[in-house]
Amino acid sequence: MIHLQRVTKRFGSAGEALSNVSLRVDPGAMAFITGPSGAGKSTLLRLIAGLERPTRGRIRVNGHDLDRLSNRAIPGFRRSIGLVFQDHRLLFDRPVFDNVALPLEILAYRRPEMRKRVRAALDKVGLLHKETVNPRTLSAGEQQRVGIARAIVHRPVLLLADEPTGNLDPALSREILQLFDDFNRVGMTALIASHDLGLVERMGKPVLHLEDGRVEARAAGEGTA
Amino acid sequence: MKPARRMLDVVPAWLEAHRDAGRRSLQRRMQAPVLSLISIAVLGFILALPAYLWVLLDNARALSAHVDHDPRIALYLDGVEAATVADLERHLETDARVERWTWIDADDALATYREGMSDPGLLDWLDENPLPDVVDVVPATADPDTVAALREALAATAPDATVVSDDEWVRQLNSLHQLGLRILAVVGALLGLGALLILALATASELRERREEIAISRISGATHRFLRRPSLYGGLITGLGGGIFAGILLLIGIGLSRAPLEQAAAAFDLEFALGLPGASHLLTLLLAGLLLGWLGARLGSGHALRDAP
Repeated sequence: MIHLQRVTKRFGSAGEALSNVSLRVDPGAMAFITGPSGAGKSTLLRLIAGLERPTRGRIRVNGHDLDRLSNRAIPGFRRSIGLVFQDHRLLFDRPVFDNVALPLEILAYRRPEMRKRVRAALDKVGLLHKETVNPRTLSAGEQQRVGIARAIVHRPVLLLADEPTGNLDPALSREILQLFDDFNRVGMTALIASHDLGLVERMGKPVLHLEDGRVEARAAGEGTA
Repeated sequence: MKPARRMLDVVPAWLEAHRDAGRRSLQRRMQAPVLSLISIAVLGFILALPAYLWVLLDNARALSAHVDHDPRIALYLDGVEAATVADLERHLETDARVERWTWIDADDALATYREGMSDPGLLDWLDENPLPDVVDVVPATADPDTVAALREALAATAPDATVVSDDEWVRQLNSLHQLGLRILAVVGALLGLGALLILALATASELRERREEIAISRISGATHRFLRRPSLYGGLITGLGGGIFAGILLLIGIGLSRAPLEQAAAAFDLEFALGLPGASHLLTLLLAGLLLGWLGARLGSGHALRDAP
């Protein structure tokens, strides 16, 4: 599903955010990326999502060679991915329902089907009763769950999450990771970045440890999941 | 994630997507009505000026058609052969551009002339009648181009005849009208360009306000086309509003100019009533507004969306 070969990403003169990173995640797998902030976790996820291009190396995701993907083909590629952010990135000018429906709108779903899928996604994260409220009025945990519903509503083959539990207390964090585990059980490949080592280790999944833009593989060995 | 959707759904889904984009664009305008109204007002003012000139020009043209002086064409048939004269008569009977024509026999003309003289005996000094036979033609229309074309056609039928038309004043008025049209085109183009830039700027700043939505949509796989769609509808809304506002301004402007213009015309012994803008004027204003709104939005969104990843 994800295959990185000696990927390096440099941002101008700021040095290398990632150096020579290789990584493989098989279809249907679930894996974690850990490391302190600034280790390059977000950069790695952004590269895999096609939001950044590598300076060197090859990235293959879901059958697409990202280093060779044309600008025109990028939107199509991104539709096969769901992304969850630490800061949720919800739109506060519209209710929860419309936030979750956004990927389906982009995919030009018709209203009845859209309604069905949005409600199913909200139900999955336990927020069906909040579909008409403005996300501004929700708690941090609820906002994160709306973000997750938005990331999975179009049933992506790959779910990427960047510090999804960053602002949450341990109980809520476990709950969120359990959600990812549930999605993974129904076939969604998941790659989750987190600095919370204890929490990650309790999940018993392969872990890729990043330090200063370099891989220090743990648990899974050789950065493979 | 491949959506298992039937092909039949593609068109309705597309229509729904457009309807949603239009509705969202309208909602956004309702939320910031002052800014939207300013855009509409700016476009209205910009459109109203050339439209005002245009209506005045159209009135001036109507004036040339209404003046109680139909252009005439005279053919002096001095030394023209009988066969040619027969051809000419056939031509005059069949040409739709001819309203009516009169044959003025040389002898009749001389007789008329004699009647008007105080001492008709003077004409007896002449050996022969110096006047030619004349055909006096009244064209069906005062349109200078048509009159000119008719004159040339008649001259071609009777090459030996001297053909004279008295539509010189129509020509002068026409050239003034052409000049007016040229000025209108230049003024309209400059103002239109200005409007385009203003609308493009407004669109770009609106997209800046939507940047978080755009970023999220891009991550979810939105195309440029999808992202700019609400802006294009916004441009059409502004264009429609601007066109309507310009139409209102135009009606007011013409209404206010009527009395002074008619007084001025009366000073030149012209009977002249300033006509109100017609449906074609108002429709053109609407279309110009819609086109400028759409183009401006397209320009602004193209620029603003190109830079984003």
